Amino acid sequence: MTAVYERTSRFLEGTRRGRREIMTPEGVPLPVELAELGERAGAFLLDLFFWLLATVALFIAALPVVLGIDFVIGLSIFLFLAFVVRNFYFIHFELAWQGSTPGKRINGLRVIDRRGGPLLPGAVIARNLTREIEAFMPLGLLLSLGSAARGGSGWEELSVGLWLLLFTALPFFNRDRLRAGDLIAGTMVVALPRRTLLKDLVQQSARFHFREEQLRAYGAFELQVLEELLRNRARPDATALRRDVCQRICRRIGWTSPLAEADIETFLEEFYTAERAYLEREQLYGKVHLDKHSQEKPGS
Amino acid sequence: MSAETAVRDDTAPATERRTEIVLKSSEFRRGREASWRDLELLIARVDKNGVGALSADELQRLPLLYRTALSSLAVARSIALDRNLLLYLENLGLRAYLAVYGPRVGIWAGCREFLVRGFPSAVREARWHVLLSALILLAGTAVGCALTLTDEAWFTALVPSGLAEERGPSSTRAELADGEIFAPWPGAAMAFGLMANFLFTHNTLIGIMTFSLGIAAGVPTLLLLAYQGVILGAFLALHANRDLTIEFLGWISIHGVTELTAVILCGAGGLLIADKALFPGRYSRLESLAIHGRLAARLAIGAMLLFFVAGILEGGFRQLIQSTPARFAIGGLTALIWLVYFLRGGIERTR
Repeated sequence: MTAVYERTSRFLEGTRRGRREIMTPEGVPLPVELAELGERAGAFLLDLFFWLLATVALFIAALPVVLGIDFVIGLSIFLFLAFVVRNFYFIHFELAWQGSTPGKRINGLRVIDRRGGPLLPGAVIARNLTREIEAFMPLGLLLSLGSAARGGSGWEELSVGLWLLLFTALPFFNRDRLRAGDLIAGTMVVALPRRTLLKDLVQQSARFHFREEQLRAYGAFELQVLEELLRNRARPDATALRRDVCQRICRRIGWTSPLAEADIETFLEEFYTAERAYLEREQLYGKVHLDKHSQEKPGS
Repeated sequence: MSAETAVRDDTAPATERRTEIVLKSSEFRRGREASWRDLELLIARVDKNGVGALSADELQRLPLLYRTALSSLAVARSIALDRNLLLYLENLGLRAYLAVYGPRVGIWAGCREFLVRGFPSAVREARWHVLLSALILLAGTAVGCALTLTDEAWFTALVPSGLAEERGPSSTRAELADGEIFAPWPGAAMAFGLMANFLFTHNTLIGIMTFSLGIAAGVPTLLLLAYQGVILGAFLALHANRDLTIEFLGWISIHGVTELTAVILCGAGGLLIADKALFPGRYSRLESLAIHGRLAARLAIGAMLLFFVAGILEGGFRQLIQSTPARFAIGGLTALIWLVYFLRGGIERTR
């Protein structure tokens, strides 16, 4: 059945995110959508920003104590604070917010266990400790490269940096876009949009009646495209599109009696209802009609 | 049951007379929609304020509603063709799954559990890797020591200038004894501020590298481990050549016991990752990594804590205590504490 939804989604929304399936402990498979690399990078930059804000705020709070000491000590205290804050930040939020951080929440991302089990604290800690190697050490090296270029040879830093960048670039090289921390912790990052339940399109009563031969003209794919058309009233060309679709349906099912312009909406809604009732009943009997072509070969 | 039939009155001509329609999937939806909405509200609150925001009664309802939603999804997949409904149920099921199976412990409870049970049991579980890691460190020390004992030029080659500071082949015995081993205490602010901070972050980064680079088949881990040993051996030989062996060992034992333990544990974590990635056994490589990566991470984060303790010991107490026997006593005490902690920590007492 899911093949139909995949196809409808592709048809309606164009290119789609990568989809994976996790098996819940209850044994019901749930599809998840992989987060795009851009979304993850965006979330990380947001988190980086919040982390820097928190560190600076903490440092300013500690300034009265720090002021008495000389610059180098002040700097090292700042670095220490930054180190503690960033590790605390990521681990705390991923634990407290069910696998998301402020940046991830803004971008609608979640960390989940790759195999569908619970997200354990150990996994959260593991994937965030690795962040030091993947993100913060290359960043630090990059910053120190500038000073090294002035003072002497930057070759050592450069080669270490390239070596570390290999780890940073890991998400580009695998199907599930896992970074090194995800590999170690057995997690992956998924996008979690919130969907709303819309009104059921099924009509309570019918004015138009369709015979079974007429309903046999279409399958689940066409039904779902029609559903989308009926739900989507906001499109500017909705009326024209409906008239067009209505004419095509009439031609295909051989509907001859004339339709008033005002009746098009009702006609489509009632045709949707009748078609869905027919297809769902057929499905109960084990006859799945994927699209209009599957009707012609009975038993397939 | 005829409820599933779409249009009851098939024979009537298409007139204005309206007929009743009952769809199984619509009936199904009507019967369960309230519980889905209920679940949606609960999840929204968990997402916003965590599981703690729910009352005891709601906490009990959450998994029940979650299972209802999952079974609704399973039913809907087989009887309904309403795309919006199916997408909604899949989404609801996933969000509820994350709320139900999300991490339940906060950072503090997690830390306590980790200190009491997680860390020592991880060390015991990875004992062979810990042993191997210690042996490599030891081998590195032996090599560094042997090379530098015969020719002190090796010291300059082996020890990075940042670590060597002013020490080297040209140092005299008096310089080492007074300027390093028995140097005066630089004062509280200086000691705890600069040294603990710098040493902690520096060592921790080395530790994290030793651990994380285990993912590159363990080669960098082995190199880093051995190299740490080499540096230690070079320092040891430098002092031995000036007849300061005992004083040096005492000076270093105060924090060294803790710090070397931390290095060994980081190395063990890295080796464990490499081992499980290279030889996954009956799992796939990725699965094997996922299963054992968490054990390795427990070792690594425990090692961070040890580095922290070592940083404080080094920055604070090392120069505060000026007698070699007292230094040995502290070093021995820390060794004993760690040993007991790792061997006995978190084991349930059986009568």
